[in-house]
Amino acid sequence: MHPETPRLNRYVNALVRCGFLLPEEMASSTISRSPVRISKVAGRCLLFDIEDVMYLRKNHNICSVFVGTIPQNPQQNIFMGLPIELMPEEAQVLVDKKVGYVVDDAAFHPARLAALDDDARKRYLQAVKAEGRKAQIAAAESKQNAKPKVIGTKKEKAKIKTSENETNPEAHDESLFSPPSPPPSSGVPQAEEPPPAFAITPTTSSLLIHPSAPPDSPPSDVSVVDHLPPSYPLYAHLQDRGYYMMPGLRFGCDYNVYPGDPLRFHSHFQAASYGWEEEMAVLDLVAGGRLGTNVKKGYLIGGAVVRADDDGDDGDANRDKKIEGIDKNPNAPRARAFCIEWAAM
Amino acid sequence: MSEKSYVEHLAGSVFDNLRYQHDWTELQILTHSPVDNSPLPRPLISGLPPRRLYLHPDDQIEILKSNPNPEGRIPETPVVEWVLPVHLAEKWTLKAFASIFDSMPPETSAGPGRVKRVLLATVHNDSTVVYYFMHDGIVKPRQN
Repeated sequence: MHPETPRLNRYVNALVRCGFLLPEEMASSTISRSPVRISKVAGRCLLFDIEDVMYLRKNHNICSVFVGTIPQNPQQNIFMGLPIELMPEEAQVLVDKKVGYVVDDAAFHPARLAALDDDARKRYLQAVKAEGRKAQIAAAESKQNAKPKVIGTKKEKAKIKTSENETNPEAHDESLFSPPSPPPSSGVPQAEEPPPAFAITPTTSSLLIHPSAPPDSPPSDVSVVDHLPPSYPLYAHLQDRGYYMMPGLRFGCDYNVYPGDPLRFHSHFQAASYGWEEEMAVLDLVAGGRLGTNVKKGYLIGGAVVRADDDGDDGDANRDKKIEGIDKNPNAPRARAFCIEWAAM
Repeated sequence: MSEKSYVEHLAGSVFDNLRYQHDWTELQILTHSPVDNSPLPRPLISGLPPRRLYLHPDDQIEILKSNPNPEGRIPETPVVEWVLPVHLAEKWTLKAFASIFDSMPPETSAGPGRVKRVLLATVHNDSTVVYYFMHDGIVKPRQN
C-alpha cells in the first residue's frame, strides 16, 4: 500500500461530499459557526481545513482552487488537494461579511508556540498524538477494506504466513511510520497489543488554536488581505447575487461566472472588469462577444459605479433585488454590469 | 460639405443597413430621449425587425413547456428594438453605456423584472455591420 493512501482517501471523500450537496447537510451547517480562519502565508490566503472549505462552498458560494500536491509528487498539476488558495477578492468578501478573518501565519505560529505554558504544551502534544492514532486507525480500516476476502484454507495459509514471515509488505509498511520498537514476537497474537500511533507532523496550526480560543471572542491577531485587484467591486457584486466565480484566464477574462456550483453547472458568463471611466475598445467587446457566443456564454462587463452627482436610480430596482438564502455583504461596493451576446442577424 | 457630424453619419449607415439588408420597418433616428426629452449622448435608432430577434431563455422554457410542438415555437411577432450605432475603432466606458441605458424607456414588451437591452451595431470601415445585444444587467445567455 502506498504510504499516502489514507490521507488521499480522506481528501477524496471530502471532495466527493463537496460535490453532492444534500439538503439536510446544508441546513445543519447554516447554524452559527465560528468565523473561518484564513491563513496568510507569503501574502497568499490559504485554507487548510476541509470543513471550512465545504462550509464556504455550500453557504457562501466560494469554492476557489485546490493547490496542494502530494509531497512525493511536487510537479503534480491535476487532482490537487488541500490547501485551497483563496483569491484576494474571495478573502476580502469573507472579511467584509464577517465570515472569516485573516491571520498572518508566519507571525502567529512562533508567537503562539512561545506563549504556551507547560499545561497547554502537554495538551498540545496529546492532541498531536491523538491525531496520529486517528490516522493510524483510518489506515488500518482502509487496509481492512482493501483486503480481498479470503476463504477457507487460504485464510489459514495466510495466517501462518503472517505469523512466520516478518517481511510481508503490510508489516513493513507499519514499521515505516512507527518509532523504532521491538519486533512483536511471533507467539503473541497481534490483536491484543495496540499498534503504536503514527507520528504526525501537523500541517496546520489548528491544534494550537482549538484548546484555548473561545469561538465567540473576536480574534485579536487579524491581518489584512494583500494585493486586492481592481476587479474586486465586480467580484463582490456577482458574489452577492449568488454566483460562483472561478479564475477567468482560460477565457481571457477576469472571472468565469457560474450560476451554481461549478461541479453542477456550466458557466454563464465571462466577466471582465473595467473602471467606471476606463476606456474599452469596441473591438474588445466584439472579440469578447464572439468568444462568449462560441462557448455558449455571455460576455459580461462591469465595475464599480462612481457617481459625481446624484442622478436617478430608476433602473436599479431589479439589480438590487437580492437572492434569498444568501447572506448579504454589507460592504459590497455599488457596481453595474452589462451583458453582451451575439444578436444572430 | 454636409453639416452632418461623425455620429450622424454613423447612425445613417446603420439606418441604411437595417432598412435595406435586414428589412426593418418603422425606422427612426432619435436624437432626444423619449423619457424626458433631453438630448441623447448620441443618436439612437429604433425600429421593427421582420421577426422576433430576442427571446429571453426563461420565456423560451415557458413556451416549450406549454407548447411541445417544435414547429413555430418562437413567436414571430416582432417587438421594437433599440439600436446604438458605434464604430469599431471607438473607445467606450461603462459610464457612457450606463448613460445610454438611463436615457432609454423601460422595457415593456417582456414580462416583469426584465432589464433594458440595446442592439449594439458595430460599423467597420469596410461598411460591415455586426450586431450584438447588450443587456442592462446580468442576463443569462440564450441557448443557441
